[in-house]
Order: sequence, then structure tokens, then C-alpha cells
Amino acid sequence: MDFDFTSLFAFILFGLTIGVVYGIVALGISLIYSGLDIVHFAHGEIYMFGAFFGLVFSEHMGVPYPLAILSAMVCTGLLGIVIERVFYRRLTRAGGGYTVAGMGMIICGFGMSVVLQNIAYLSWGADAEPFPVDLGEPFQFGDISLPKSYGLTAVIALLLMAVLHFFLKKTKIGLAVRAVAANKDIAFLMGINVPLMISLIFGLACALAAAAGVLIGPMQSVQVEMGYLMLMKAFAAAVVGGFGSLPGAIVGGLLVGIFENLGAAYISPNHKDIYAFLLLILVLMVRPSGLFGVEVRVKA
Amino acid sequence: MTTTTKGITALLAAGLVTGLAATALAGEIRIGVTMRMVSENGQKYGQMVVDEFDMINKAGGINGHTLDVTLLNDECKSDKGVANANKLIFQEKIHLLVGSTCSSVSLPIVDVTAKTKVPQIIPHSTNEKITQKGSAWVFRVPVSGRYYAGVNAKYVGENIGKKIAYLCAADAASQNDCEAMQAQMKSQFGAEAAYVAQVQEKEVDFRTHMQKIKSAGVDGIMIAALAETMARALVQSYEAGIPASVNRIGSSSASNSPVPAIAGDAAKGVFFTAAYAAADDRPIARLFNEMVRQRYGIHAPDHDFSQAYDLVRIVEIALGNADLKLDSANLAADRTAIRDAIANVKGYQGLASGPISFCAEATPQCRDGNRTAVLIAYTKGGKDYVTEVLARVTMPVDFGLK
Amino acid sequence: MLKVTGLETGYGRVQILRGLDMEVPQGRIVALLGGNGTGKSTMLRAVSGLIRVWNGQIEFNGERIDNKAPDQIVRRGLIQVTQGKDSYPSMTVEENLKVGAFTRSDKPGVARDLERVYDYFPVLKERRRQLAGTLSGGEVQMLVIGRGLMAAPKMMLLDEPSAALAPKVVLDIFANINRIARSGVTILVVEQNVRMALILASYAYIIRDGRILIEGDADDLMHDENVKMSFLGGTVADSSREYMS
Repeated sequence: MDFDFTSLFAFILFGLTIGVVYGIVALGISLIYSGLDIVHFAHGEIYMFGAFFGLVFSEHMGVPYPLAILSAMVCTGLLGIVIERVFYRRLTRAGGGYTVAGMGMIICGFGMSVVLQNIAYLSWGADAEPFPVDLGEPFQFGDISLPKSYGLTAVIALLLMAVLHFFLKKTKIGLAVRAVAANKDIAFLMGINVPLMISLIFGLACALAAAAGVLIGPMQSVQVEMGYLMLMKAFAAAVVGGFGSLPGAIVGGLLVGIFENLGAAYISPNHKDIYAFLLLILVLMVRPSGLFGVEVRVKA
Repeated sequence: MTTTTKGITALLAAGLVTGLAATALAGEIRIGVTMRMVSENGQKYGQMVVDEFDMINKAGGINGHTLDVTLLNDECKSDKGVANANKLIFQEKIHLLVGSTCSSVSLPIVDVTAKTKVPQIIPHSTNEKITQKGSAWVFRVPVSGRYYAGVNAKYVGENIGKKIAYLCAADAASQNDCEAMQAQMKSQFGAEAAYVAQVQEKEVDFRTHMQKIKSAGVDGIMIAALAETMARALVQSYEAGIPASVNRIGSSSASNSPVPAIAGDAAKGVFFTAAYAAADDRPIARLFNEMVRQRYGIHAPDHDFSQAYDLVRIVEIALGNADLKLDSANLAADRTAIRDAIANVKGYQGLASGPISFCAEATPQCRDGNRTAVLIAYTKGGKDYVTEVLARVTMPVDFGLK
Repeated sequence: MLKVTGLETGYGRVQILRGLDMEVPQGRIVALLGGNGTGKSTMLRAVSGLIRVWNGQIEFNGERIDNKAPDQIVRRGLIQVTQGKDSYPSMTVEENLKVGAFTRSDKPGVARDLERVYDYFPVLKERRRQLAGTLSGGEVQMLVIGRGLMAAPKMMLLDEPSAALAPKVVLDIFANINRIARSGVTILVVEQNVRMALILASYAYIIRDGRILIEGDADDLMHDENVKMSFLGGTVADSSREYMS
């Protein structure tokens, strides 16, 4: 097909707008990984719950859309904290400290994903629910029309990342969160309430996933099985960026988004989901620890 | 034990004995149903089959025989469908199997029923391969994909144009619809596809595809996908700025109510082929619409409701004509008798837009009983959608066969 | 100030400490000496609340602290300073120091202590915006000691501050530990470098197999024939004393 710059611009724009959403889910996955040493396989379902909470607030209770995002983030964050406290904590503790990255935790994550799916299924049914948010006419860039929801998604996602960055870098609690993520024993010795921080990390990661869910909802409608695809993409994003690296998660998300759209546009339109994993393999071949997965070298 | 409780126990025992005696005397016709009971509508299709069989029982059964119906959910998963079929056949010892909804589930079950010699009647699956396996035990109530594609292509080629883009989701029914439509456009008009993209069964982001389709400047877009995926694609086609003058063509699942409900305004103008139109003005159709509305709260029933209903009527006719012994010694003979009785149903006139007829040979010509497709367009989207009938076409028996 | 009686603990089912008794009086530097695998670090972990105490008591300022949560123990002013490798390599030097002050809410006090740490270790001030992972071994050891100071401790537990460092750097660090002690912080230093530790401390315990083997004034131990034979290799480096005073 003919090459033109307008289309190229459009494909990159599409990639960026979905990529930031992959990025914020990947951010949560990386946060949990660095904070709890677990790879959280139920995060797709947390994202789905966030989307449903957003739908309930916005559609059924008439809460304005931005407020619905916030409310969904709070509810999902609390749900995450309950899940971590009641189910995951026993497992992470059983291995000694919070640092066991064993099979048990992975299986538990899969189990939790099934449980959450079934709870959602019982609460909201299997049908996809439309999530119409009227933001007015789409933006027009020449021949490309970009619905306002995409723009809003990008803005809110970037805002969330900025707030998270500020929180981690500039606040005392944020510093404590980073300390716990880096080394729990030492964090204990600094007088940090490590279990509390771990709950905070998990809640934060779930709230981010919820924000992604509410942002995606108006574009793609909301349904019980929506978590799987997002989880796959977000994992790809997190690994591409370097597992556990927060800037890496965001950059990974954007790259996955752009790469899959360009792949679908210029290589083959079929099965565009494989491009995310193609990118993943390419990156890992060149840099096995991912783009930002740099170990800080310690001088002797 | 007090005298009163003794009395009650005696009474219960007596009732039990007579009850058992009665059923043993008349014999039960055991019917197994496996369907996709996952979405709200999916559950209602299954419920309708069970409710209709129940009403036959309430009206005295068939030739004095009660129908014993077991309904299982296969969730549109082929492994569950096959497990359900085996359970129904070997444990429940059913005389007749009804199922399934999804083509991907019905296809492997055809092999199970052929091997175990149990008649199978299909309520919803349209994949043409189902009747091309050469099983003598399978009957299809819905219109086969090969007829749909022919009707669709003829209408598109004559009224819309020949430059068509295709978005094909990875589920069996949509793949089949998509390939058949492309083949028909080629054989009827010599038209190659302007753009083809295979997408995931539950794809959520079509923007890149839509941008490509937009710059390709096509006459129409065929979106072959299950209802929710199709609805998303429709919405995104308008978001991408593809004008309404480019016609949106749906695959057979476009008839499912989630399409207009989720797509909203984007559903307007979408047309598709189906076995039944809620806009049908025959009295039987008006009555049926009203009944479904009252019983299941459905605004306008799609063809999966009408097919579930037609299936029960056809089974009722066939069972009425079959000479059944209904004891364990004659299980195989009874199954064969039911098969032959269904094969003898000719010219059934129900909700389907044309007559349904079966015959004895194990060929698609004999077992794709319904050859009449109706072309339907949405004139209004949303939960209170409105449709209109564009055309009704009955295809020749051999159509689409190689 | 710190009193440990009959301490028994270990990991899983493996007992490490078998009834350890020791005492650190206020304002003193006390050394706990012993080779690898004798239970020194285990003792510190038990005092800090990182592992459970099986039997025995730990008292700090007359209050039982055994099996309290680590952050509760820190809040009472008992701070453990781990080895240099336990800095936060991906945080800046200043961020590392600020983590140390996590339990405090008096901002002016924290700012004052930050200046004090920079005063003790000027090199940290120079590098305060650098990532801790880029520091040299000696600098990281200074950083973790400084981080401990940021908690405004009443008492510090130092885990092998001389480990894997060049002698010149060790002297520098020990001089600073001495300064910290004179500012009123009680210190328990756990060391393998017996000679250096005996110069620094006023009293010392020697641990073997989870029990205290020998204890006494540092000067006495320095001249004890047994200790000399087993731990000091026969010579005493007197010159380093001048440097510290």
C-alpha cells in the first residue's frame, strides 16, 4: 500500500495513545515486582475490576468521568490491599521475609485471576457493556481524526505518571516505598513499617491498573474477559523496558503500542498482537535485562 | 414414630410408587442440550429451549411420553462441548442431542454423535463444514454459511460495489463467514478483496486497520466477528473518520442484540444476513416477538431465539412421528427412529423466513434444511434498536458446494 | 543501656545463639568480636527485631524489646548500621541519608543532623547528588554510618565497619566512630578485625559457637596471652592510637 506521512503520523499517534495505557498497567506490574518480589498474574483482572468500577460510578451513579476515574482508583486500590493482606501476605511470608519468588506465588496469582473473573462474572454478567463518555467532536489533524477520549487518555496517563514520579522522588513516604522496594531488611532497620508500605505499593499498583481500565472503557467497552490481552501487552511492555524499572515500564508501553501499530500497518495487518512479542524477543536478544534494566555498578 | 408421620410416610411412599410406575409405563424421551450459556442472551437461548420442551410436557407430552431435558453449558469451548456430549450420551443415555451454539463446538461434537449413533440437531452454528463431514446423524436448523455468503455477496456486488475491505476475527464462525464472502465476491463478480486483516477473537483496537481502510477508499467494509468485537470495530470505524457512505457489512453474528446495544449510532446502516428478522410482519412473527419480550425482556428477538424455537417445533414433529419403545434394550433403535423421523420433516413453516426440509442422505444438500436468508439492516442503534428487511432470498440446494 | 541475657535464637531449626549474655553501658564503645559464623550478626539481627528470639531477654534503657517489630525498636533510638554493601545503590547519597531519618518528624533537627553527617564525612557532601552505587567501598561505609546517625540514635549497633576496606580507610572510619561516641551515642561494634576493635572499644566480648567465650576491658584483652595467640597474631599496632585521640 502507498506510503504517506499523514498515515505514518496517524499510526504512531494510535500507538502512543494505547501505549501510555499499556505503560500505566506495566508500571503497576513493575511496582509490585520490585516491592513484593512477585510477578502478579492477576493484574489483568484488577484492571478489569477498575473498568467495571468506573462504569458503575460513571454510568449507573452519574458521577462525572474524571471523578469516576478517581473513585475507581480508590476502590480498586482498596480491593488490592485486601487481596494482598488476606491472601498474598501469608504466602510471601511463608518463604521467609517478603522475598520468596516461588512457584506458589505464581500459582496463587493465576488462581486469583480466575476467582476475580468469576466474581466479576457473577456481579456484572458476561456481556460487554458500552461505556459511552461524550467528550464532543474528535480532534482533526488534517486527514486524521482523533477522538477526544484518546487525547484525554494520553493526558491523564501522563499526569498519573508525573504524580507517581513526584510521590516517589519528592515525598518522605515515596522515599520509604523505594527503600522497601530496594531492600526490605534495611528498610526495617530504618524504622520503616515495611508491611504497611507493601500494602501501599500493592494498592498503588492496583489503582494505576484501575485508571487504565476506566480510560480504556470508553474506547473498547467493558467486559469480564478484557484483562487477558491487557496483561499480555503490559507484561511485554514491562519486560521490554526492563522488569522492575518504572521509567522502563512507561517507555516499554509506548514502544509496544507504536511497534504493534506500525507492524500492522506496514508488515502485515494480520494478528497484530504478535508484534508486541516480536519486539520483546528483539529487545531481549540485544539487551537481556530490557532497555532500562540496568544494574547500578558498585565500585569495590 | 407418631401415627401422623407414619401416615404421611405411607402417603409419600404410595405417591412415589405410582409416580414411578407411571413414568416406567409411558417411558421418557431423554433430550440433552449443550449450548453456550455465558452471556445474558446465551442463557436465554438455552432457557428458551428448556421452556419450550417444558410446555410440551405440560400439554401432556408427546404421544404420552414426557420429555426429560438436561441442559449443560459448554461456554463456547470445544473441549467442554465434547465432554458435555459424552456425558449426555453415556451417563444420561439421551435419545437426542441438541447443540451447540458456537460452530467451533458443534464441529467436534458431530464426530462424537456420528460415532455413538445419536441424532444431533444444531440450533445456531452456521459453519458450512458441519454438514460436510458426511455424518448421517446431524441436522442443521439455521442457514448454512454458504447460503449466507451467496446472498450477502449478491446484494453487495449489485448494490454497494466491488471494492470491499475485510476484518476477520479468529473465531470459527467469523472466519468461515469472511472466507465464504470473499470467495463469493470472487466467483460472482471476479472481485478481489481490497484489504484483509485477521484479528483476535476479542480484538479491542482496530484503529490502524481503519486508517488503512480509510486511505484505501473502499465501497464497503465487511466486519466478520462475534457481536461485541463487531460492535467495537463499528464504533472505531466512525472514530477513524470513515464516512457513513462506506457501507458496513456484518457477519451472521451482527443479528445479536449486543451489536446495536454496544455500537449505538455506529450500528445504523449495518446490514447482514440472518434466518429471521424481528421486523417480519407475519402474524406468527409478531406473536413470537411479543412472547419473547414478555418472557425474557428482549426488545426484539434475533434469529438465535427464532432458531431455538423452530428447533423445538421440528423436534416435536419428528418425535410425534417416531415409533419409540423407550426401554433400555431399544435405546439404539429409538435413536435411529428419531434420526429417521427428523430426516422426514419436510416443508416445516415456522419463524424461519422460508420452509425447512431435511432428507435421508448424509449430505449438506439434505442436512442444511434452511435455505432462506433474509437481508436485514439496522435503521437505529442502541438498546431500542430498529431493523428493516432489505430482501428475502432462497438459495438453490447445491449453492456454494464444490 | 543494652542488656542481653540468655539469648537463644537461630534460623529455621538451626540454633545459632546458645545463651548469650552481654551488656553495653551508656556512653561507652563495646566490641563484640569473633570469626565468621560465630553468631555475631545473628545477635544483631535479634536485637534489631529482624529474627525472633527463642529464649532469653533483651532490655534497652530498662525496657524489654525482644520480639518487638523492627520499626518499634528503631523508634526507641536503637539503630543498627549494616555493612556498606547495604546502602540503596539506586538512590542518591542524600536520599539514602533521608531514609535514615524516616522515623523523625522534626524537620529542623533532621536538617541539623544532615549537616552534622556532612561535617563528619565531607566526601558525602561532595557526592550528595550521586547515586550511592557509584561510591567507593569506604565512602559507602561512611554513608551507612551517616544514615544511622540520621535517625538521631541513642545507641548504634555497627556490623563490621571495617569489612573489606583498606587500612587507611578503616582508620578514618574508626576515628569517626570515636567522634560519634564522644557526642553521646552508645556504640556496640561487631568486628572481625580484633586488633582495631580493641583499640577503639573500652570493653570487649569474644564470641564463639553462640556463647561469650571471654570478656574484659579492651586493654586487658589486648595483652591477654590467649587472645594474642588466637586473634592478634602476636603484634599490636600502637601507632593507630595516636591517630584517633
